[in-house]
Amino acid sequence: MIDRRQVLAALAALAACPAAAAAATVDPEGARRIGDAYLAAHPAARDAARLRAALMPGDWSAAALARLRSRVAADFRAGRVFAYRGWRLSDTEGRLFALVALTPNG
Amino acid sequence: MPFIDARELPGDSEIVADLVVIGAGMAGIAIAREWAGSDRTVAFIESGGRDFDAATQDLCKGEAVISGPDNADRPFSDHLYQGRRRQLGGSGMIWGGKCVALDPADFAKRDWISRSGWPVTRRQMQPYYDRASDLLGVPHFPPGETSLQEPARPELPTEGGGRIFSAPRHYSRMSAVNDPEGFDRFRTAPFEAPNITVWLHANVTEIKLAQDGRAIERLDIACLNGRRHAARGRAYVLAAGGIENARLLLASNGAEKAGVGNRADLVGRFFQGHMTYGVTDAQQGLMSGVYVTRARDLSLYTSGFDNKSHCVLAPTLAAQRQGRLGNATFTLGRIAPNQRPPVRPEVSAISAVASGVDGAAPAEGEQLYGFFMSEHFPNPDSRITLGSGADALGMPRIRLAWRYTAAEWRSLEGQVAAFARELATAGVGRVCFPMERPQFVALANASRHHMGTTRMHADPAEGVVDANSRVHGVSNLYVAGSSVFPTSGIGNPTLTLLAMTMRLSDHLRLHLRRAA
Repeated sequence: MIDRRQVLAALAALAACPAAAAAATVDPEGARRIGDAYLAAHPAARDAARLRAALMPGDWSAAALARLRSRVAADFRAGRVFAYRGWRLSDTEGRLFALVALTPNG
Repeated sequence: MPFIDARELPGDSEIVADLVVIGAGMAGIAIAREWAGSDRTVAFIESGGRDFDAATQDLCKGEAVISGPDNADRPFSDHLYQGRRRQLGGSGMIWGGKCVALDPADFAKRDWISRSGWPVTRRQMQPYYDRASDLLGVPHFPPGETSLQEPARPELPTEGGGRIFSAPRHYSRMSAVNDPEGFDRFRTAPFEAPNITVWLHANVTEIKLAQDGRAIERLDIACLNGRRHAARGRAYVLAAGGIENARLLLASNGAEKAGVGNRADLVGRFFQGHMTYGVTDAQQGLMSGVYVTRARDLSLYTSGFDNKSHCVLAPTLAAQRQGRLGNATFTLGRIAPNQRPPVRPEVSAISAVASGVDGAAPAEGEQLYGFFMSEHFPNPDSRITLGSGADALGMPRIRLAWRYTAAEWRSLEGQVAAFARELATAGVGRVCFPMERPQFVALANASRHHMGTTRMHADPAEGVVDANSRVHGVSNLYVAGSSVFPTSGIGNPTLTLLAMTMRLSDHLRLHLRRAA
């Protein structure tokens, strides 16, 4: 089982920064709040294992990142958009934050 | 003696000229520039003087309300007083100087927007836009959907689908706000030609039709000191502003009860304005705009807040057609740190994740303030009528019902979604628009752009003026100004109304030649 810090580090790794150093750049409280809002709007998504399997299958790799980018773009094109306090985010990004919210603090 | 105070004329004086123009605001100035030194006499009848006068400005007062579905009505009467100026130079006294050519889409017939389409194309307008740009001292606008094309200021790399383009904006010094001394010369010099006279403090209270109702016989003029005069010409131009043009036609009901040029009951209808939709709320930590994940050089977009040439993001005609939406713009800028809300943890998280998804380092990104503008569609129920009260000269006050329909809300929401989609799929950034539909009327900023109340259309059943700006059914009365715009576009109207005035001026030369 991974903890929230590891998920945040994985998110920070999206930015191609050294994970340990960059983990702090994803605000954990902010990410949790967005994730909670996503889950409130999408209660069926409340399953950390399924979310993780869908979003982060296998290791965190360049291929995984490319896949994620492609999903985000596909979400916007298809209108799968999640609005949080006015921010238009893709459904995939909403689910990333939901994963943070569902993952226990390490 | 180019400037004459009509209050000091003997009572019942008669002003006679080849061309009589009601109003010496921006459109009037353009006509004066075009006709200065010609072999025709031109008289301008201006309500105000060179200086602001509260009693004259009071003539603007009336009632105004902005309304839209799912929103509470917003009383807006102050706007009629604050948003216009009865003075030599007109709205140029309060104009910010922003110059925009309307997009090709604005002139096009768009079958998904009722009553869209102008009787002139953007390309046909090019020479007039060029003349208007020269008048205002700004660069010419290219006729297509093209940016400023400045290699040193790159465009945002939006996806190559041709759905967004960067639309240019320039700023003119020819406004009292930007250059009081320069504008004073601008608003006086054209009137100093020997063939031109300006009658100040002279208010046209009625446009008198000849007995057959097919031509104007004279203008009735009143001064606030009680003097009354008349003006006669071979042709007349009504150039009193987007609201006042309609008011004067409606109030000129001595011969025809509905007013002059109003046999089809169109005068005053189709009022269109612009509202900007943006939020900065320090308490709630909200700011509309965009988080740009790679903010290397955004000066093409952000310099507008410093009154420098810049671009806004706009949907192409193809994108409007695809989404069946109206025109819109997304204006970006940097606002002062003390006006920015504190960065909330969620914004920090979003910026980090968006940067990652877009393949940018978080340090490259920047959150920009941004506001949207969205087209107000032609709507016969959005209108100016005469109110019950009267001003100091006995003219009925204005009642403005500035109305939106669900179609405008759908278009605004659709365009926000489209901008968000285009910027995100291109890996440029994420859009924030923290405004819900029931807040649109209350939170939006209403512009001083007043359009459509004497709309142009070749068919008298659909327009007040014909394609040459002549009032249908009245052989010698023309209208200049943004009241002739059939659709509002999404740009500040001054440049376009000046371009249309240049076009009208060319036509008037033919008219007067024929009349001679």
